[in-house]
Amino acid sequence: MASVRFDAVGKRFGSVEAVRELSLEIADGEFMVLVGPSGSGKTTALRMLAGLEAISAGSIFIGDKRVNDVAPRERDIAMVFQDYALYPQMSVFDNLAFGLRRRKVASDEIKRRVEEAARVLDMSELLARKPGQLSGGQAQRVALGRALVREPQVFLMDEPLSNLDAKLRTQTRGEIRRLQQEVETTTVYVTHDQVEAMTMGDRIAVMNDGRLEQVGTPEELYERPANRFVAGFIGSPSMSFFTGPEVGLTLPRNGAVVGVRPEHVRPWREGLIGPLKGRVAFVEALGRETFVGVDVGEARLVVFEEGRAVRDVGDEIEFGLVESGLRYFSSESGAAL
Amino acid sequence: MGVAAAPLEAAAREGSPGERPPGEPRLVGYLYVLPAFAVFAVFVLVPLVHAAWISLWDWNGLPNSPATWAGIGNYTDVFTDEQLRSAFVHALILLVFYAVLPILIGLLLAGVMARARVRGLALFRTILFLPQVIAMVVVATMWKMIYDPENGALNRFLGWFGIEGKSWLGDFSLALPSVGLIGTWVYFGLAMVLLTAGVQKIPPSLYDAARVDGAGPFREFLAVTLPGLRGEIAVALTLTTIYALRNFDLVYITTQGGPGDSTTVPAFQVFSRAFQGSQVGSAAAVGITLTFVIFLISFAINRVAERST
Repeated sequence: MASVRFDAVGKRFGSVEAVRELSLEIADGEFMVLVGPSGSGKTTALRMLAGLEAISAGSIFIGDKRVNDVAPRERDIAMVFQDYALYPQMSVFDNLAFGLRRRKVASDEIKRRVEEAARVLDMSELLARKPGQLSGGQAQRVALGRALVREPQVFLMDEPLSNLDAKLRTQTRGEIRRLQQEVETTTVYVTHDQVEAMTMGDRIAVMNDGRLEQVGTPEELYERPANRFVAGFIGSPSMSFFTGPEVGLTLPRNGAVVGVRPEHVRPWREGLIGPLKGRVAFVEALGRETFVGVDVGEARLVVFEEGRAVRDVGDEIEFGLVESGLRYFSSESGAAL
Repeated sequence: MGVAAAPLEAAAREGSPGERPPGEPRLVGYLYVLPAFAVFAVFVLVPLVHAAWISLWDWNGLPNSPATWAGIGNYTDVFTDEQLRSAFVHALILLVFYAVLPILIGLLLAGVMARARVRGLALFRTILFLPQVIAMVVVATMWKMIYDPENGALNRFLGWFGIEGKSWLGDFSLALPSVGLIGTWVYFGLAMVLLTAGVQKIPPSLYDAARVDGAGPFREFLAVTLPGLRGEIAVALTLTTIYALRNFDLVYITTQGGPGDSTTVPAFQVFSRAFQGSQVGSAAAVGITLTFVIFLISFAINRVAERST
């Protein structure tokens, strides 16, 4: 096990700067999630850490060792790929054993480790099958198993759940987290799904356009986003943004952009800031709660209502804001104020 | 079909025979195939059966001359007749030059390409594929000129380095490999186009996985490139094997099977026996045997390719 450190790492593809000045420290045993929209540089960062992509600037350290010029096979990492990348001609057993054989592990030790991994992942009956005979979920477990048996310094996972259906994804999310806590191996996990990031990461690094926007625990990112991008990216439905004049309010920080999450926008009652009036633009009734999109002048806010609210598009609605839930961002830089 | 839904569906399909899903061809489909089958039968099946019939006789090919029953005599000749046996042995040797060598070279290139993206690949591929589009007659004539002992390009080229030229097509031990190398030159392009196209279809993540797992270039080739190209290898091997075994024009133009019988091949024997030697029955037997050998080898190649899936 080892810590990982990105020190002002950059990557250029021709004229495109995929990763800019990325500095990030990942503690030994930590589960770090790199999250961001597509093209944000998160996968490139992971591939540089794996050694699959050359580093254009800066340094990457695994433990105390600078690995810029170290081949992937000598970095002692294991990687789980989005499409699983199982060797199609090999049985599941051989897929799991492949990396160990390359490292000249004794064959009875290989057998022990593979069987142990198969037991932990509940796939002992799959060992003789070929990847073509596996379901998506099973193939995903095999891919995890292949990383697990290696007992590496660092696990790298590149969107390993994005090919699974929603239910399996939720289930596997918990399972990966549990496994990681058991083996306590440093893990870098790339995803574009903020729900995955929020539920799995010890800490989350939000990336956008090749830059690191913020690093922090899920709670920090949710409660104290460093800028408008992070505020809008984390949380679902996402934070609503408006300015005081747009909605006819005078707020403490004039001229700033105000961000507010749906749970802090409620139907009008005493004690809230308001009342504000608007027209219903959309209704998302989820059963336990209802999100109501409301147009107020130029701005659109999402109102949170308990239970199944009876609203129709075009209805007038009166609502208010919870003061403690308001976040202020610079209208120029987008940075939190 | 769900059990509960069965009675409903059956009712909906009342009057339609059998359990055929909607849209599946019915027996009447065979009627539509009939015209094509008739043409195929007249021009392929009947001549084939006729050839098989002829192969059982000793006949000089003239319409009014008598034929004597030979039974399987013409077939046992294939194994006992020195000339015919060596023709089949030569065909198998040419297999190495036509099929094995081009595919090995193609694989080497595909393996390199999997590691490093080659610039200008399309142009490169077109150039190497060119021999494929030239008529074999032209290729053969051209190479005959290149191999010419007096003024051939090859001997002149060797002369610059002080190496004494050889009679490439006239020497008993050199003639067959020399003819074979022409085949390598022609079919290398085909193998390469198939294999390099195949290698681009292998998911890059497999290479990434192999590298992270600790595979070096050679192990990566064995674990990822080679299995990934299995289908393409089978196609290339089948095609080039057929070309090698039925090879005629190249031999006819460059050596006429000579010197002696050192480059004779089955297809050339079919030709010379049928149209020069008045041994039509024997020619037919060689042709049928050749067909059978080609079928057998192609079948074996594809069985092996399928089994290792």
